[in-house]
Amino acid sequence: MIAAFSALMLNGFREARRNRVTLAVVFFAVLLLLGSAFLTEVTVSTFDRVLVDVGLGVMSLLMVLLAIFLSSGLLGREIERRTIFMMVSKPVSRATFLVARLAGTMLTLAVVLAAMGATFFLVLMLYGTRLHPTQFLAIGMLWMELLLLCSIGFLISSFSTPMISGLVTTCVFFAGHLSPDMYWAAERSKNLPLKYLGKAIYYVVPNLERFNYRPRATYFLTQPAGEVLLNIGYGLGYAIAATALAVIIFQRRDFK
Amino acid sequence: MTHPIEVHQLSKTYRLGFLMNRRVRALDKLDLTVREGEVFGLLGPNGAGKSTTIKILLNLVRQSSGTALVFGREPSSADARRLLGYLPENPAPYEYLTGREFVTLAATLGGVSSADRPARVSQVIEMVGMGQHASLQIRRYSKGMLQRICLAQAIVHRPKLLILDEPTSGLDPVGRRQIRDLILEERRNGTTILFCTHVIPDVEAVCDRIAVLVGGNRVREGTVNELVTSSVPLVEVTVESLSREKFDALGVPFNEVHAIGERLLVRTEDAHTQALLQKVLAAGGRVTRLLPARFSLEDLFIQAMNESHHRVGGRLL
Repeated sequence: MIAAFSALMLNGFREARRNRVTLAVVFFAVLLLLGSAFLTEVTVSTFDRVLVDVGLGVMSLLMVLLAIFLSSGLLGREIERRTIFMMVSKPVSRATFLVARLAGTMLTLAVVLAAMGATFFLVLMLYGTRLHPTQFLAIGMLWMELLLLCSIGFLISSFSTPMISGLVTTCVFFAGHLSPDMYWAAERSKNLPLKYLGKAIYYVVPNLERFNYRPRATYFLTQPAGEVLLNIGYGLGYAIAATALAVIIFQRRDFK
Repeated sequence: MTHPIEVHQLSKTYRLGFLMNRRVRALDKLDLTVREGEVFGLLGPNGAGKSTTIKILLNLVRQSSGTALVFGREPSSADARRLLGYLPENPAPYEYLTGREFVTLAATLGGVSSADRPARVSQVIEMVGMGQHASLQIRRYSKGMLQRICLAQAIVHRPKLLILDEPTSGLDPVGRRQIRDLILEERRNGTTILFCTHVIPDVEAVCDRIAVLVGGNRVREGTVNELVTSSVPLVEVTVESLSREKFDALGVPFNEVHAIGERLLVRTEDAHTQALLQKVLAAGGRVTRLLPARFSLEDLFIQAMNESHHRVGGRLL
């Protein structure tokens, strides 16, 4: 089973590596990260902070786009093209197949993120900006956010089309970053249904702001380890729950 | 004794539509047994239930009722699927992989040991005649090459049962012959084969026994010989100097008539021959040839469909 899992995971990685979209994203990311140094021309005294903020922002935006593309399209494409017929008819459980495909996607994202991170730190070193542990933490927590988004993308793909999955995952991304604000607004609302709706969204949609360490990295602030571990636990818990639900749905699905 | 495939009272109803409120019955209490070492042909028009039967055996679709067993095991068990290989209709492998990478992936998933894998992959690639193209990406393959590399992935883990869904569809005569030879080679090695097709000459060439499905039911089953010889004997009569309209006006029962130039080629049951000859001659026609006609599988197929009142496609409930 381990051999089958590794083969499927590495196949997912190989697929992404040979996909033009992945290569285009990596190319643009490296270009933008290198280009972010031109901001020195328009920045007066906060050069270091702008360089870190823009660099992490570019990485976050492109990685989220890539994660949504990979996670929402992968299963759907397999089903639409009927490639899945040959895979699922092998002596491999559907759960193994789905989790291995998710692992392959996360491996791809990790490698792309590592390449972007290396370029980012190279730019920082070239311009003499000081490196700080929170910058590494921000990149690591971005991967956690991607894991959560991908598990939701896989969950929706397990019963719907790539387009719906992509749309829902994008909505979850925005709602997830706005959910603390929604909760705050709901708390203060005098309209009772709106109050409950805001709170319901807060509790159902993952709070992606828990993984946003970019502002703290920009200001070179250190983080208490306890809070970081709690947020990692939150992300893992949410991702495991979404993947488990995806497996249950995927196992019951008919491939007509 | 367990058979490679045992299907008993198997039914499948698909729920369709946004609200899943439309129901279509694809299989209706199907019984089927495939014996060890035979090539079993599953024939039927589109929507007869052939693909649904195969998909249930492969655990791609779950039955609504009844049982389907592969070597005595439920298709959902990995042990059952370890014993079978599958070539789907219009296979779509991962196009970004090379042929060799794809067969290696299939071998890994099929449980071929890492020590045995490279040699076994090379062996099956050579066996299907893809040795020269194995390092090309699959997206560059022709239809015939795709079919062959997918057959390689189906047999790489040495399955005891091979399920082939329309394996020769879209192939040229040479490609069809090659695939047929590979199927016969697998049978010589003791593999049981379930062969699902529309191409009747392929069935006659390779199948030991066949079943005809129409509307989710089995309407015929037996060896090709049994089915062909147990049917009504036919004759083929060549008629000249008689137009098609005049022939139709005679009111003689016939199975089919083809007008070829000035001639009419009539196929009818042997029992109607005398009446046909008398009426044709009385109407001024000439009978230039009379031959016993072999009842072909195609005739059987058409007859089975006619008897089932052309129940093409699943039945809307």
